Amino acid sequence: MEIQVAIIILLVAVIIAELAIFLIATIMQLFKINAGLSVVLPLVGQIVAKTGPVNPVVDDINANLVVTRDALENLMLKKAGPDSAGLVESLFPGEGAKFLRRVGRTGKVVNVGTVYTRGVGILAGLGRGAPIGAAHIKGAAVRDPKYSTTEVAKLYPAPPDRRDPTRNIPKAPVIGKDPVHSPYEAALTPGTRTRDAQGRKIETPPPSAPPAPGSRPWER
Amino acid sequence: MADAALWIMVVVLAVVILLLLQLLKRVLQAATSIPAKIDAIAGVAAAASKDLDAVAVLLTTQGYIQSIRASVLDYGGSLDAALPDY
Repeated sequence: MEIQVAIIILLVAVIIAELAIFLIATIMQLFKINAGLSVVLPLVGQIVAKTGPVNPVVDDINANLVVTRDALENLMLKKAGPDSAGLVESLFPGEGAKFLRRVGRTGKVVNVGTVYTRGVGILAGLGRGAPIGAAHIKGAAVRDPKYSTTEVAKLYPAPPDRRDPTRNIPKAPVIGKDPVHSPYEAALTPGTRTRDAQGRKIETPPPSAPPAPGSRPWER
Repeated sequence: MADAALWIMVVVLAVVILLLLQLLKRVLQAATSIPAKIDAIAGVAAAASKDLDAVAVLLTTQGYIQSIRASVLDYGGSLDAALPDY
């Protein structure tokens, strides 16, 4: 046998051995991969099964929240009118414009909270008889703690549709159309009305003597 | 002439051995790297599956939201009746 043939046979044997060694090693790795995947696949199945009901549940939650939001927004529009966006803006800055877009309205959003401190807007909504400016916001409450409901009943003795039309009680003022100028006069005499419900000036009564201690109803 | 052909064949086979060695080495490397990644994926999948146990609580949340919706709508109806319209 010639030397070349012997070398060729040797080289072919090396090739076969090389192929066998590497292919066996690769097959071993494939077995490991198969085992690993058999562990992973059930876990992926669990994930799929557990996330399956998420979409319908979240959709249902979103639908409920949207219905609730729409109902409350419609109620606010019905009760607060053009001030609605300003009220929303005062509670959630930046949401007033979105609110207007949602309800299909346009206009300037005036943050009610920057014009009126919290609570004053509510008092203003009660009507011109509300004691706006009667005292400092940080001062004592401008109401009789004992007979406050009586005072409110005097302002509005009945809901608008059941009020006596001859009394001509004015409608609640619009807040926020021109926030720079308050619809209320500056209170020169806190706690005292200078004009009546029809806008006529009220004659200033002569100063009365302060009540004797113990004569007030809440001191008895 | 026949000798030359045999030597050429020897050289070709030697080159083939080297190329085959490189090729099979890369295949084995790729195959070896896969089990480690699968183990990592299995760990993550197990943790994710465990985390998703909390998804069942969403059903409770759904129930709460439905109750809240009903309460808010009732409350809104009461406010609608109690407060004057603008």
